Amino acid sequence: MLTYILKRLLVAIPTLLAVLTVVFFFVRIAPGDPAFIILGDQASQEALAAVRHDLGLDRPLPVQYVDFMWQEVRNVLPYTIELTVTALIIGVALGLPLGVAAAKHRNRALDYAARIFSLIGLSFPAFVSAIMLLLAFAIQLHWFPVISEAREGDPLSRVSALVLPAVNLGLIMVAYVMRVARSSMLGVLGEDYIRTARAKGVPARVVVWRHALGNALIPVVTVVGLYLGVLIGNSVLTEIVFNRPGLGKLIVNSLNQRDYTMLQGLMVVYAFIIVIVNLLTDLTYGVVDPRVRQT
Amino acid sequence: MRSFASLAATLAAALLITGPLPAHAQKVLNVGMAAADLGSLDPHRTANTPDKAIIGWMFNGLVRFKPGTMNPDQIEPDLAERWDTSADQLTWTFHLRKGVQCNNGYGELTADDVVFSLKRAADPKISSFSSDYADMTSVEAVDPSTVRLTFKNRPASVLGILTNYQGGNIVCRKAVEKLGDDFRTKAVGTGPFAIEQYTPNQSVTLVANKSYFRGAPKIDRIVYRYIPSDATRDLAYTSGEIDLIYGRQDQVWAERMKSLPHTIVDVFGPGELSDLSLNVTKKPLDDLRVRQAIAYAVNRAELVKFKGPLTAREAVSVVPHDYLGTDENAPLYPYDPAKAKQLLADAGYANGLKISIIQTALPTMLNTMQIVQAELKKVGIDMELNVVDHPTFHAQIRKDLSPMVMYSAARLPVADVYLTQFFHSRSTVGTPTAVTNFSHCSVADKDIDAARQTTDVAKQKALWKDAQDKLVKDVCAVPLYEQLQVWAHRDKLNFGYKLDASLTLGPIINEQTTLQ
Repeated sequence: MLTYILKRLLVAIPTLLAVLTVVFFFVRIAPGDPAFIILGDQASQEALAAVRHDLGLDRPLPVQYVDFMWQEVRNVLPYTIELTVTALIIGVALGLPLGVAAAKHRNRALDYAARIFSLIGLSFPAFVSAIMLLLAFAIQLHWFPVISEAREGDPLSRVSALVLPAVNLGLIMVAYVMRVARSSMLGVLGEDYIRTARAKGVPARVVVWRHALGNALIPVVTVVGLYLGVLIGNSVLTEIVFNRPGLGKLIVNSLNQRDYTMLQGLMVVYAFIIVIVNLLTDLTYGVVDPRVRQT
Repeated sequence: MRSFASLAATLAAALLITGPLPAHAQKVLNVGMAAADLGSLDPHRTANTPDKAIIGWMFNGLVRFKPGTMNPDQIEPDLAERWDTSADQLTWTFHLRKGVQCNNGYGELTADDVVFSLKRAADPKISSFSSDYADMTSVEAVDPSTVRLTFKNRPASVLGILTNYQGGNIVCRKAVEKLGDDFRTKAVGTGPFAIEQYTPNQSVTLVANKSYFRGAPKIDRIVYRYIPSDATRDLAYTSGEIDLIYGRQDQVWAERMKSLPHTIVDVFGPGELSDLSLNVTKKPLDDLRVRQAIAYAVNRAELVKFKGPLTAREAVSVVPHDYLGTDENAPLYPYDPAKAKQLLADAGYANGLKISIIQTALPTMLNTMQIVQAELKKVGIDMELNVVDHPTFHAQIRKDLSPMVMYSAARLPVADVYLTQFFHSRSTVGTPTAVTNFSHCSVADKDIDAARQTTDVAKQKALWKDAQDKLVKDVCAVPLYEQLQVWAHRDKLNFGYKLDASLTLGPIINEQTTLQ
C-alpha cells in the first residue's frame, strides 16, 4: 500500500508543476493593473505606484505568492471546503441509496422517478437551480435569507448560511451519484455469484448491501472523484449567487480588479485541489477493492 | 450514526430558528452594492464607484454641495463656518466650526487636521486627485480654528476642490498616522457615520456618529453589503433584506424596479458624458469637412433610444449638462446623413473612407460605439474597431494611438475642469503635461485661460460658452449622450432632501435621512 501511495504522489508532482507553468505564462499575456481599477482614470503615475506598493504588487513574485496563500486563501478556503464537503455528503448520502433502490426496482415507478430527477439535476446549471432555490425558500417561504451571512461566534448562522448553497450543489451530486450507482448495481446484480447467494437463501438485504454494493462501489468512487472537480467549478457559481465568501467570490473580484497574480494563485489552488482529490480517489480504490493494491 | 443524528438535529434547529429576520429596535439601513469587495475607504485614494458612495457618508469637506445637488453656485459651509478671500482671490481664509469631533474617538478636529488633509490630497505620491491642487502654493494653520490657503493661479473653482468630494474630504490626522496601512479599511473622518466593522468579501458596517455636529443621525447603522451577482442583489431587495440598491444603468432594470410595490427608482446626476474626440492633426480627420460629416452622421436621439430614455439623455455640449458654465444650447450639428455624404464627397471621399480606431471591450462603451459604427457606415465611413480590454484601451489612447477616442467621464461640475482636461492644448496626449486631450485641439485655449483669470462670474460663463461653441463648430469632439446614475430604494427610506445629483454617485445618507 505504501509504494502504491508513493507512486500516486510522484505522478501528482509533475501534474502540479505543469499547471503552474501554464497558468504563469497565460497570466502574463493578459494586461491588467489593479491600481488603475482602484484609482480611476485621473490618477497620477506616482499615485498608481503608491497603490501598487500598498497592494504589494511591486514585491518579487514568490513573495506575493506566499503572502497570497497565507492571507487570502487562508481566510476563504474553509468556506469553500465546508460547502463542497457538505454537498459531497448530501450527494453520497442521498445518491447512493437512491441508485441502489432504483436498480432493485428496475423499470418500476421508483426507478422512473429517480431517473427523471437525476436527468433534471444533470441538466440544470448551478446558477439557475440556485436562483430557483432562492425564489422558493427565501422569497416565497421565507425560511432562509437571500444573503446568507455567517456571523462570527454564531455557529447556527453558519449552518443556516450553508443549507441552501449546499443543497444546491448537493442535488447536482445526488444526480451524478445516483445514475452511476444504479447502472453499476444493475451490472453487479446480474452476476452469477449474486444468483448463487440468492439461491443459498441469503436475505435480500444482505445480498444487495453487502455482496452487490461492495463490488458496485468502484465506479461510484470514480464518479465522486471525477465530479468533485465539477462540484468545485459549480461551487464558484453557487458562492456568487448565494453571496458566500469563498474562493469563487475571490475569483470574481480578482477578475474585476484585473488582479492577475491573485487569479494565478487561485488557479493553482484549484488545480491543487483537483490533484489531491484524484489522489484520494486512487487511494480509495485501494481501500474499496483489494485487487487494486496488489497490482 | 449518532453524530449524523446530531448534525441533522442542528440543521433542523437552524431551519426553525432562521426565519425572517427579527425586527430590530435599532434602525439599520441595508444597502446592496454591485461589487465583490471594498476597494479603499481612503477618500484621497479611491476613484472606484462602489467606494465613493460609502465615503460620502463618512466625511466632510470645508464646504459642501447642498445634499442632492451638484451646483457649484449653491456650495454651503461644512467644516468651515465662513471664509474670506483676498481681492485677487489668491488667498482664502477659512474659519472652522468649533467642537467638531473626529469619529472613533480621535479627538477634536482642528486646523492642523485640515492642513494635513489638504497637503495629503495635493501629494501625488498619496492622492489620486493631486492635479486638482496643483495651483495651491501653501496651506497653513493660522490658529487652531483658522486655515489659510494661497494659490499661484486661481483654480476655476476654489470652493469646488474643497467640497466633500475626492481630495476635499477632510481626514483626521491622528487616525491616518496611527492606522497606517489600516486606514484603507478603518478610515476616520467627521461625517454622520463612522466605520464600525469591515468583513472582507461581505460588508462594511457603519455606525451613527451620535455627536455629529449637525445632529445625531436618525439611522443607527448602515450595512453596506457587497453582492456582485445582479440577480441575487435584486432578490435580496425583493425579499426585503436590503432597502437601498445600486442599480444597473439600464432601462429594463429601472422599469422593472418601478413596477415593484413601495419602491422608488432614483435616477440622478451627474451624467457621465460620452464625447467622441477626433484627432484634428491626423488624416483624414484634419479636414474639417470630414469631421463635420461625422458630426452630421451621428444620431444622438437614436443612441438615447438604445440606451433607454429613463437612464440616459442626449448630450447638449462638449461639456456635460448642469455644470457651472455649460452651454445648454451649444450649436451641435443636427442629424443629417445627406449632408454628411455631401461633405465627404466635397472632401474627396465620394467613395467612402476607412478609419481604424481603438475601442475598449467594456460592454456599455463598446455597444455605443457599435451603433456609431453603423451610423457612420450609412454615410460611407467604414470605422474599424480594434477591441482591447479596458486597461489596455486607457494605456493606448494615452499614447495617441487612436485617431478617434470615445471617452465617458464626469468631473467636478465646473466647465473649466472638463474644458481644460479634454480640450486645452496643454492637456494634449503625448506631451509632458498630458491629461486627456485626444483631439489635439487648441481653438479654445485663449477662452479657457481668460475665464480662469477673471473674477467676474458672468464674464467667466460667457468665455466658457465661447470656448464650447468653438470646439463644437470645429468638431474637436462629437458629444454623444449622458449616462445617469440609477439606484432604487424602498419608500420607508426617506433621504430628507430632493435627490437631483450626487457627486459620490450614490445617495447621500446623513442626519436628515429617516428609515421607518
